Amino acid sequence: MTYKTDEIWEDKWVNTTCGVCYCGCGAKVRVVNGVPVKIEGIKESTMGGTGSGLCGKGAAGLMYYHDPNRIKKPLLRTNPEKGIGVDPKWKEIEWDEALEMIATKMKKIMEDDPNKILFTNQTMRASDGPHNHPYFYAQAYGVKNNGNFIIGGGSLHCGNACHMLGGLIHGAWSIAPDWRYTKYVLKWGSSKGTGSGHSAMTNARLRADAIRRGIKEIVFDPMGNFAGGKATEWLAILPGTDTAVGLAIANYIVNIRGEMDELYLKAKTNFVYLIKDDGTYMRHEKSDKPLVYDTRDSKVKEYDDPSAAWEDLALDGEYEYNGETVRPCFVPFKEHLKQYTVEWAAEISTVPAAKILEVAKGWVDNAQIGSTITIEGKTYPYRPVSSVTFRGSQGHTNGIHQVAAIDLMSQLVGAEDVPGGTLGWPAIRRAYPGGNYEQTCTVGTDGVIVPSVFYSHDPWPVHAPSYPATNMGCVDVWTHCTLSHIPYVEEVDYIHEKLGMTSKPEMIFGISANFVISNSDWDTAVKNFKDCFVVQMDLWVNETDQAIGDLILPDVSYLEKDCWSSEIDAFFFSGSPSYEDWYVHLQQPVAKPIGESRFFMDVYIDVANRVGVLDKFNAKLNDYYGVKDPDLQIKPGEVLNWKQIGERVLKWVYGDDKEKIEKQGYATWHKPIDDVYWRWNIDSRCPVYMEYLIHDRRNMEKIFEETGFDLWMDMDQYTPLPTWFWPESHKDLDNEFDLLAFSYRDILHTNNTTFQNPYVDEVSQMCPYTFTITLNTSLAKDRKIKDGDIIWIENRYGVKEKGIVKTMEAQSPKVIGIAGQGGLWADGRPVAKGKGSNFCKLLPSKLRYFDPVAGNMETAVAVKIYKA
Amino acid sequence: MNDKHQDLVETMFPSDGSGIKPYEWMISPTRQRQWIDDKGIFLWLAFFFSEIGAGLYFMSLFYSFRPGIVLGWLITLVLGGLIHMLYLGNPKRAWRMIMKPNTSELSRGIWIIGVFAVLGFLQIITPGGFNMVFNFIMGILCLLIISHGFATMNVIRALPAWNSTIVLPLSIISGIWVGHQLLQLMFAISGNAAAASGMEVWAAAFFLAYFLCMLLYAWGTWHASGAAKAAIQRMLEGDLKQITYIGVGVLAILVPLVFTLIMWGGDTNGFLIFLRLASVCAGDLAIRYLIMKSAVYNPLI
Amino acid sequence: MPRWGMVIDVKRCIACWGCTIACKEEHFLPPGVFFNRVLIGESGKFPTSSKLIYPVLCNHCSDAACVEACPTGATYVREDGIVAVDDEKCVGCRACMVSCPYQQRTYYDEKVKDREYFPGQGKTEMEIIGEKLYPFKLGTVIKCNFCSERLEDGMKKGLTPGKDEDASPACVNICPVGARIFGDLDDPESEINRLIMEKKGKQLRKEFGTEPAVYYID
Repeated sequence: MTYKTDEIWEDKWVNTTCGVCYCGCGAKVRVVNGVPVKIEGIKESTMGGTGSGLCGKGAAGLMYYHDPNRIKKPLLRTNPEKGIGVDPKWKEIEWDEALEMIATKMKKIMEDDPNKILFTNQTMRASDGPHNHPYFYAQAYGVKNNGNFIIGGGSLHCGNACHMLGGLIHGAWSIAPDWRYTKYVLKWGSSKGTGSGHSAMTNARLRADAIRRGIKEIVFDPMGNFAGGKATEWLAILPGTDTAVGLAIANYIVNIRGEMDELYLKAKTNFVYLIKDDGTYMRHEKSDKPLVYDTRDSKVKEYDDPSAAWEDLALDGEYEYNGETVRPCFVPFKEHLKQYTVEWAAEISTVPAAKILEVAKGWVDNAQIGSTITIEGKTYPYRPVSSVTFRGSQGHTNGIHQVAAIDLMSQLVGAEDVPGGTLGWPAIRRAYPGGNYEQTCTVGTDGVIVPSVFYSHDPWPVHAPSYPATNMGCVDVWTHCTLSHIPYVEEVDYIHEKLGMTSKPEMIFGISANFVISNSDWDTAVKNFKDCFVVQMDLWVNETDQAIGDLILPDVSYLEKDCWSSEIDAFFFSGSPSYEDWYVHLQQPVAKPIGESRFFMDVYIDVANRVGVLDKFNAKLNDYYGVKDPDLQIKPGEVLNWKQIGERVLKWVYGDDKEKIEKQGYATWHKPIDDVYWRWNIDSRCPVYMEYLIHDRRNMEKIFEETGFDLWMDMDQYTPLPTWFWPESHKDLDNEFDLLAFSYRDILHTNNTTFQNPYVDEVSQMCPYTFTITLNTSLAKDRKIKDGDIIWIENRYGVKEKGIVKTMEAQSPKVIGIAGQGGLWADGRPVAKGKGSNFCKLLPSKLRYFDPVAGNMETAVAVKIYKA
Repeated sequence: MNDKHQDLVETMFPSDGSGIKPYEWMISPTRQRQWIDDKGIFLWLAFFFSEIGAGLYFMSLFYSFRPGIVLGWLITLVLGGLIHMLYLGNPKRAWRMIMKPNTSELSRGIWIIGVFAVLGFLQIITPGGFNMVFNFIMGILCLLIISHGFATMNVIRALPAWNSTIVLPLSIISGIWVGHQLLQLMFAISGNAAAASGMEVWAAAFFLAYFLCMLLYAWGTWHASGAAKAAIQRMLEGDLKQITYIGVGVLAILVPLVFTLIMWGGDTNGFLIFLRLASVCAGDLAIRYLIMKSAVYNPLI
Repeated sequence: MPRWGMVIDVKRCIACWGCTIACKEEHFLPPGVFFNRVLIGESGKFPTSSKLIYPVLCNHCSDAACVEACPTGATYVREDGIVAVDDEKCVGCRACMVSCPYQQRTYYDEKVKDREYFPGQGKTEMEIIGEKLYPFKLGTVIKCNFCSERLEDGMKKGLTPGKDEDASPACVNICPVGARIFGDLDDPESEINRLIMEKKGKQLRKEFGTEPAVYYID
């Protein structure tokens, strides 16, 4: 076995960015005789795993290029009938015809209302292309807000509640432990550092070092697999009950142990803001600013009055202001927590009370309240405890309270954005030395952070719910949705009618989204979207394309893509929160596009040009990158392709180093310590007391009353205090539907695209849990089910899915688990076809199964199981 | 929509009797495949033919029966040797197998077969070849060849079911037993009924010894180690049990027992001897198949 | 002369299968052939059960069962401790495969060679070029070689295996959590010897007495 080197006439490595999941690790590709044959990470870049490490699916990304099933020419549906199981009878057409068809359609719709065009963001391959551009591309057409986005990929299982609170608290999209300095990590339905989440491999590397250093990692999860299986301790918890444990720990900290970081609470939270009896802020008559009580001066002041020192602000007591009784909002909060005992939480969550208490003690003991640490000559509070959550725990109808309760623990001990604590995903980005493009957060009204970049909808300032709704997502009414749930909801027609929604969608312009099968009930998705003219840019004909697609355009994979912008704004999405250098990666083509495939950004530009909105889009690009140099700005009337635009933007962003960075494929530059713990240095306050929800509730109830809207939603969740609410899935449990089905991210898979990768496919079959349905061993025994049996899982709406059983010990006996988004059937993806089971279809899509505040999906479902 | 599920179950939970799911590979006891599955089946046949050929040769020595040693020599070398070659990935390089007799049992086997081929040929062509010295040397060589297959398996420490001490006696006695049967049939066919009848007393003895060795093997292996026990379990309870009960229970034990009882006291006849031989051969093949097929490796974790 | 060995840090490993797939790419392995795998199991009972993850590859034993069993001398232990197969000498008897307690060997025949990653759709460019650049011989046994080509090429350039990527095995380079440490077992100062000492490195199934060069720490 040895290389026959005489056959090799070209052997080179090309630096690019991995595009298999949304993390965007640095990747280099070995190209031999023009053929991409191997992928590794980039050692010199801080983005990604140890050394030139890359995860398995990243390494397997080669198959995106080699897959013979890729579409090579635009495909047009000739069968007018749509639906699952209906042959679209594709006909290959020429690009020009396809683009003209899109442009004609768009122009016609725009004469009426551009909001009738829906866009999808990029989903399965988020770092596989520019991140934020679909949003402002849509704006160029005149689309308002974020209500016209539908999501594929992680769909509404992902992030709405997390992003909302991540934005409000950290100014960031997500959170991670400060692995380098932390000692005690709690993970709630999150696999950060063990394979999933943003910057997965950066996190995994940092976590591995931390674990070797001896930190404790406690995982609350229904199964002890990716996160739990690697934890110091795994605690089995029922899906959606994390709030209960979180609140019990908070109660322990505040009312039993009584050890809090009071200075932090006074300095960095809104707990000192004075509220009236109805729970709303008492505001200053003139400035409208919230008020605080200065105990030194015995006087009520504006919250940012420089004469009031942090340590003097009152957290308790009752005061008079303008004849009204006011008190710091910490007072009712403290009282509210008293109901949440450890025993109560144990009953709801199935985590033993003694364990909850042990964790609570460990949390306070490790928090080292009062201690400081000096790094690079700068002194910060040192709070080496971190509590992080993501998709798993927030994916419930009580999602907003789940995230709030988990965050609360960190707030109470001051372990937020300080060394050792919970860090926001990089919320800021400094300019490259000698270049431009800098993004920093600002402080908005009431002292709350306003993120520098936020995909879709900014979490702050909140805008008041109003109607009539102007877009399919009705974000005018549901104002906190990062991406709206309404397009997926079964009662969408009713909602639109009642709320006077004027823009019934007529067209979807999508990027590889698979929203028919990746969110919830498939039939509802087909019903809601099939009347639209559906255009997708895709690598294969996926399930959504086959069911409802009208025109499918061949996109390039990340290996053929020239995307200079792929990581410029990605600090926000895939950077490292830790004290690691700034980095940027370019996505450089390692091979020629397959067939006639074209990069979707160029298709975007072409279509915009045909429709006549290119100038608007170009202006938005100038604005987005903040290009001030008139030579580099795109001028009205200029038609540049994506590569040509890059020539200018890169010059603006990297200055004289442009060529060097292009050649290298990446750049890193120093990140000073103050940019890591930047939030400590700015005067902002976390809105832990969610006062805005009181106003939202009033406004929404008024709207519902005026419009006669009477679909039930748990409006009680619009409360400022993190509170326990039963998730809707639990309410559905009874003797017949007696198990909760949940899903989880498998490290090998990114949503459903990786199912088509034969490398990933063959190792998936070697994993016990990836393509199977997991049941606790004793549960399976009770039901007389054994490994390899095929079972049906059925929800109470008669939707069912089958799969192969694999028993495991490390799973709560009251749940069943399904990894990722299997159970695929598109003819265009033969490797993926029939592998695993589809969890999403089991999720009912009625309005009540969505978080009433943030709009994320209830991702657990009451089911029964029986042998097939 | 998920019609492919059944295919996936087939891939992940094969019903072909292999009983191993891809993710259980070396996590549960994992079956040996190379020396029985696919082309590995040749090795099973090759071991069998070498054994019966050498068995016949061995028994013929006691009766100085030249047709017996000729046939035995041919079966061992032509059938056994040829099938061995078919099994190899690169038969043209087979000569290289003589290179490592110091460590490789396989290599030693090749040497023995080589010496057997030469000396056997000499014995066949030498008038008066059935002398003490020749017989003694050839007898030893025959026993080595009979046990060659199992000896090759026996040295493999990784497979506890093969690495058991009772494997060798079982293989030797089975070779002698089958060889004996062949010779008896040759006598019966060639009209030497007296010799055939005279051999019957040995038939009973060999059968008994064979039976006892089998029991001993099963019992000893069961108690040897976890993985060895798992092998016996697969034979008795698992996917191999039909072969065990029919192949071993009926063909290797019950049928020969009945015929032996019928012919008790030397009341032999050619047809019955033939039937018994057929049954014994099938039974012996079944035992070899089971031993090769059922052996499992210890899980690594 | 060094004796190459590896330490696998089970505590760091998150079972991403990077090693398995990078190895397949490095050696252009056909479907179903693995020089590196990850074993995933479980021990204990709910709720205190634990997940077991063991990446496995050829142990490059110094007293290798496969070498002992090989009748032709095709399989041998190199001076640097790597267990290699000389595909000019291998007759394909598979005695080595059967003998290996770790089951780390694969028989390469037409059936394996003909497999396609996209079954029925023909071989991809990568598979075709792989057969040309890194040809396996039909009817021989193939296995992990600790990427000896990489080691040799790297050392010729003055690089150090285990430290420099270009002189280290592909599975070591790809590991995103640094769970694989490669080095010289004969050098008492080496990182791997330090880890084996400090963390009490264990060999898998030591009882077979083959003296594996791969150690596990947790």
